[in-house]
Parts: sequence; structure tokens; C-alpha cells
Amino acid sequence: MCDFSSKTLGRCLCIITGASKGFGRSLAQQVPYILQAGSVVLLVARSGLLLEELKTDLENLTVHLGLVVNCVSADLGTAEGVAKTLEAVRQDAVNDYDHMLLINNAASLGAISQFCSFTDPAQVNAYISFNVSSALALTAGVLQALPQRPGRKRTVVNVSSVFAHKPLPRWVLYCTAKAARDMMFKVLAEEETDLKVLSYSPGPMDTEMQEEIFRQMGVRHELMPCQKSGAKLLNLVLDGDFPSGAHIDFFDL
Amino acid sequence: PQANLTTQHIEEVANLPYLGRALCIITGASRGFGRTIAQELSHVVKPGSAFVLVARSGDDLRTLQAELTDSEAGRAGLRVQYVEADLGLPEGLERVTTAAKEVATDLIDHVLLVNNAGSLGDISGFTKSFTDMAEVNSYLSLNVSSFLCLTAQILQAFPQRPGLRRSVVNISSLCALKPFSSWVLYCSGKAARDMIFRVLAEEEPDLRVLNYAPGPLDTDMQLEARSKSGDMLLRKSCNEMFSKGQLLSCEESCGKLMKLLMENTYTSGAHIDFYDI
Repeated sequence: MCDFSSKTLGRCLCIITGASKGFGRSLAQQVPYILQAGSVVLLVARSGLLLEELKTDLENLTVHLGLVVNCVSADLGTAEGVAKTLEAVRQDAVNDYDHMLLINNAASLGAISQFCSFTDPAQVNAYISFNVSSALALTAGVLQALPQRPGRKRTVVNVSSVFAHKPLPRWVLYCTAKAARDMMFKVLAEEETDLKVLSYSPGPMDTEMQEEIFRQMGVRHELMPCQKSGAKLLNLVLDGDFPSGAHIDFFDL
Repeated sequence: PQANLTTQHIEEVANLPYLGRALCIITGASRGFGRTIAQELSHVVKPGSAFVLVARSGDDLRTLQAELTDSEAGRAGLRVQYVEADLGLPEGLERVTTAAKEVATDLIDHVLLVNNAGSLGDISGFTKSFTDMAEVNSYLSLNVSSFLCLTAQILQAFPQRPGLRRSVVNISSLCALKPFSSWVLYCSGKAARDMIFRVLAEEEPDLRVLNYAPGPLDTDMQLEARSKSGDMLLRKSCNEMFSKGQLLSCEESCGKLMKLLMENTYTSGAHIDFYDI
């Protein structure tokens, strides 16, 4: 859970989307261990209630470490949700940070269904809005709110999947969104040379998303606790020892 | 040199099997590569075939329709319909599928959908400028969602049956595989489209699925690329390709696409670039 060998991101603004459950929640519980006093953790999800519970859970730890935890309840599938989130980012951005870390984790599986069933553009547009457009708009807004500055590092993470590169029958929505996101972040890496951009594929973890996959597919993989994959991700971020724009899978390391 | 290539192309394809009595649906058919696809396809389909041409510009579609109807293929019985529609809007897709169903007959033995319609999006800025969800959604709606939904609708409207060949083509790009600075929307959209078709190829082994990257074509889209790209190095290299005569004519690239379709030996779901063959 806290195997980071006292490495730290310093005073950091850390933004995590999809923070109420699963991998995002786990990251929110782990990241305080690599932040110094004066850091702010901004948690984003639709459920304000779950976020507040999480904030309360973290209180002993974060207060002790001198960290502030803010919550934004927002539907990132909507322009209003992204705008609300960016407003909160801008408010938190006024402070001085050594590091900005954005983890684009919020995502959904979408309907797992045969290709020919996807005849409704409204359904596909809604899925893409949440799983692709919001990652772009949010990342763009965060980079604008915290522009390049000497002495300040910026890291942007895209929570990806092996299915960003590997097609899976009946999973057209999920594969497509992950493929689009990986490319989006590769373009970003080309453009912003000071930025560290990482597409991280966490492997199968014990989350509600995996429960849903099991319900739909009837196949259960060997699942790992989120913290195990989260630790790998945070160590990658701490070391910064990867080419910007890379796609790294849990099982690669 | 261009004339020689055309002659060579004619000789190469002369002995290849035609594409049957085909129902061809071509999007973005009013100009550029789509227009050329419609024209070239008319030479390699049998009498009794029907085309559905789709674009936003009714005037340009009517001109092309008249040209094809008056052509040798037209006089031999090729029927050409057009649908003036914005595929970024949901009603647009429905009208294309309806038109395709209306124009199809029992004699059709090949349904060929060419997803060519596409746009560059705003290439003047960089990824960090795209804070407007509406703009991003609008782009992806045309370039990704409509691509998926039109393909799904056509495959649903023309299900697999003995004696019916079905082929779907994605006009792809090197940008599906390689990131280009200041082209985040275009690269992401093309990467998405390639994946959509790779999933489709996995699901439907009897379907012929092709991601064809045509190479840098001398079209309005290429003009936009060399005049508006936000990345100056990229803009410069696009301008150099133009000034050195390195752009491909639509005919040249389309010739290779026709050969691929007629030889019909490509691996379904593959990404094939003009320069690969």
C-alpha cells in the first residue's frame, strides 16, 4: 500500500477522476503517501456522497500529513460537469506547486453487445462524450489552468487498457474509446515536451467494472487488489522514467 | 508519369473479377477522394448495380449523379441515387440506410459501404486548446459515431445470406497509427475508426473489412492541412510535399483501392496503406 521508499512528488496538486470507486478510489487512498504538506488532492466523480465518505475516511491521514482534500461531484459526460470540475481546478491552482498530477481514470464499460446493435448515434455519442471527449476537454483545461512554469513538473495519466490495442468481439465501444484516448495522449506528448504523459494499463483488478465484465461475459480473470496496480502506477509517476506518450501495462514491469 | 500509371492500372485490373452487381454506398462523395471512388467503382461493377452517394452538398451530388448516369456504366444500367445529409446529425444516417434499402434489388450480390466522409477538425491549435466539449463531441459524432452507426445500420439492413458478399471500407490514414502535433482530433478519430473495424473483423469473419490509408492526396483536405496546421514543422512538410509534386492524385490512390477490392485477398480488419502495396 505504501511502498514508495519515501519518494515524493513534493507539494502537488493531484486530480483524480472516477475517484469514488474502484481504481480511482484506491489511488486516492494511496497518493497521500507520496505528497508533501501543502498538497491538494481534488477528487472527481458523480457521487458527491461517496466522495464525501472517502474524504472523511482519509481525514486522519491527510490532516496529519498537512494535505487538503477537495471533492467535486460532476458528470464528466456533460459540458457542465467538465466546466464545474475545471472551475474547482482553477480555484486550487492559485497555490504554488512543485508538481501537477492529473489522473484521467473515470470511464465506463458501455454496452457489451454485437456490433450491429450499435445503430443509435445518441447512444454512441453519449458513450464517447464521457469516455473520450471529457478526457480531452478536462486535460486541456487543467493544462491551461496550470501552464508550464520553471520548477513545476506536470504529469498526465490516461488510465488505459490492453484493449486500446487489441480488438475484442462485442466490446466495440470500450476498445474504440481506449484506442482514441491512447492516440490523443500520444499527440499531447508530441506537442508538450515538458509534460510527462503516460497511458497506463492497470490489468484486471477487483472492481465493480470487473464484476460487470463477469456478469456480461461469464468469464472471471484472476483479479488483483487495486492497490497493487496503483502502487506500480504511482512508482512510475514518481520515477518519471518512461518516454512521454508511452503505453505501459502492469504486466510489462 | 501519371498517364503511365493510369494505363498500368487499367492493364492490372483488366483481368481481375469485377465487384459484382453491387450496391455501393459512398459517403463524402461530392468531392475529393469520395468522388473519385464513385467514378472508379462505376467502371468495375456489373450492370444492375446501384450507387448511393452521400454528402452535404446537394448541388455537387447532383452533378456527379448526372455524370455517372450519362457515363458508359450509366447507359449500361447503373442506377445512381444521392442523399444530401450531414452525417454528424442522427437523421442523416437514417436517410442513408433508407435510401440504400429502397435502391437495392434481389439481383444485388454485393453490398459495399465506403466510409470516406471525414474532416480534419480544428488543426490550428494544440491538444491543450480543446476545452470545448461541444466542439469535440461534434467532431467525434461525424468522424467516429456516424462511422460506427452507419456501418451497423447497413449491416443490419443487409444481413449475411448465401450469395451475398458484404464489404466495408474505412478511409483511414497514417494518422490512425502515428501521432501528429496539432492534429489531435484527426489522429484520435482515425485511431478510433481503425479499432472499430478491427473489432468488427473479429466479430464477423464472413465480412470483408478494410482500413485503407490512401496516402497524401491532392484534395481540399490537404490544402487545409498545409495552410492551417498549428505545428509549423508539419505545415512546412505538407507545403514541401505539395511544391515538390509528391502528393498523390485521387485516381492513383483509388486505383490501388480498387485493386485491393477486386483481388479480395486482404486480411479482414487489416490496415493497408497506399505505400504498402
